[in-house]
Amino acid sequence: MRMGMAIDLARCVGCQTCAISCKQANNTPSGNWWNRVLTVGGQEMDTGALAEDFRDSTLSYLPFACQHCENPACVRVCPVGATYKREEDGVVFQDYDKCIGCRMCMAACPYTGVRSFNWEDPQFYRDFPLGDAGVPTHQKHTVEKCTFCSHRLAAGEEPACMVLCPLRARYWGDLDDPASEVCRQIASREHKQLLPERGTRPAVYYLM
Amino acid sequence: MTETTMGATGSPEALPALVPDAQKDLADKPKDAQQVFGRGFSLALVIAAVIAAAGLVLWGVQLTQGLVLSNMRNLTSWGFYITNFMFLVGLSAGGLIISSAPKVFGIKGFGGIAKIAIWTSVCATVLAIAFVVVDLGQPLRLWELFAYSNLSSPLMWDIIVLTVYLIVSVVYLWATLRTEAGKGSPLALRALSVIALIAAILVHSVTAWIFGLQIGHDLWYTALLAPWFVSSALVCGLALVLVVVMGLKKAGYLVLAQENIIKMVKLLGIFVMVDLYFFGCDLLTAGFPGAEGAAVVAMLTTGALAPFFWIELVSCAAVAIIAFVPSLRTNTLVVIASALAILAIFCKRVQLLVGGFQLPNIDLAGPATGPGLTDMGAATQAMGGAMVYFPSPLEFGLTLGVFGLGALMLLAGLRFLPLKPVDKD
Repeated sequence: MRMGMAIDLARCVGCQTCAISCKQANNTPSGNWWNRVLTVGGQEMDTGALAEDFRDSTLSYLPFACQHCENPACVRVCPVGATYKREEDGVVFQDYDKCIGCRMCMAACPYTGVRSFNWEDPQFYRDFPLGDAGVPTHQKHTVEKCTFCSHRLAAGEEPACMVLCPLRARYWGDLDDPASEVCRQIASREHKQLLPERGTRPAVYYLM
Repeated sequence: MTETTMGATGSPEALPALVPDAQKDLADKPKDAQQVFGRGFSLALVIAAVIAAAGLVLWGVQLTQGLVLSNMRNLTSWGFYITNFMFLVGLSAGGLIISSAPKVFGIKGFGGIAKIAIWTSVCATVLAIAFVVVDLGQPLRLWELFAYSNLSSPLMWDIIVLTVYLIVSVVYLWATLRTEAGKGSPLALRALSVIALIAAILVHSVTAWIFGLQIGHDLWYTALLAPWFVSSALVCGLALVLVVVMGLKKAGYLVLAQENIIKMVKLLGIFVMVDLYFFGCDLLTAGFPGAEGAAVVAMLTTGALAPFFWIELVSCAAVAIIAFVPSLRTNTLVVIASALAILAIFCKRVQLLVGGFQLPNIDLAGPATGPGLTDMGAATQAMGGAMVYFPSPLEFGLTLGVFGLGALMLLAGLRFLPLKPVDKD
């Protein structure tokens, strides 16, 4: 079994709801965003690719988080095995208790900015913890990132970013099972993966 | 080890040097300990110790308040510490290579400066390890490196090789001292020098592989990186030995024939040319296809890292001129050339580290992305610079502290270890 996701770029409107639901479900510290919706072109996240003639300008988005690669650069380089690929479902996982904070994984990962480091004692916007039960406690000076909401997978649920997407732009399932929703979407649609030339073989597909 | 070295000081060979010579001989005989290690030397030792202690305090501050005090952020996850780590591994490897290579190939060395070269390289290795440790978020979990070693990680290879290398250097120094005292076998020393040479080349190759095996960064991912690191190590390692030896010569700690200095300066010139040749090869390979690599070349030559690129190039050219024009090989210019060579390699390290993070693969605007993520990146851009990273005051302070530790080690070694060249060497 290898869990994966397909994201329909034609549907995504850049509302950032998945980014917020990720942040809530995982109670990520202030300033850490495991899942972000990037804006294609433009200098700011609210400006698209502006053209000379405004009619040629475009506004499109790229929801972006850990790609849970089949051949992850981060797993290869972690000196203590704190980041590893789970045999049972192919999820690339991070063990906060083991992480020595060397940040080698951040340097090795080709997907800019999907890994976050807690540069100080985790701070939160609320005095009380948000997030689901079973989310590991965030630790100072350790690296963290999207886990495909492993705590939700353990409870038989889908990742949090799937659930709240108002446009139903995300598909989830087992990439090894041709009958799964995600495989059927990939099979029927034109799609791409990010940075295929780096040979990481991501588990996240983008439908065009 | 201490007992042995003390014994060597008292050995018959070393004794004459301690007896004050007549005034007329003073110019070409080393001065005695009282003259060399006067009040100024003790003061330097104390200052180095104070700086090292201050560094320790700053490390405590960094650990309690967090690495947030550095200017490293998620998009520039390594900074000044790792730059210095690369730089010091180079200084160390270079020193050991030039001290062991003559012994390995049975050729004449550089007038008995081998022990000093080994000692500078031991000091540099300790500092390199110190820089990795201060960069770590969780230094108390260091033991995991040995308990859960992931042998596919170049960082793990480096930790193993660095440890072995430090031990080999210390043993090599000890064996050299023993052999000089007439106790060890010269054959064993030569075998040890082979091991030391291999370890020195390996330690810098493995350090290069931490970067050079990362397909995620266009600047780093090149097969040339390991040999190039070795050539850079030779440049700055030899230059450091030259600076130290010239300083010691001036202080009257040792006497060194001019021919040895000239030999080293010529060698420095050759190493610089090899290093520049590798740089040229790399730039051409990156830039020629006009693909992704062209952005790397532009970044180095005219972009954000251009100041470091051009300082390196001009310094290397100056070193080559001083090294290859016989009339320019005066003591002052030799020291200047060595300092420029060290500066050039430091600039190369900055280009390599910051340059690796300068060009993001996914360069799209969004929450928590772009230069906004690095406070100092935004600040330097406001001032007209373009680097995504610039060290914070804490990083400068802590780095100075680590170098203070190095100065302390170097000076203490000169004072308490018998590193002075012996006549028969």
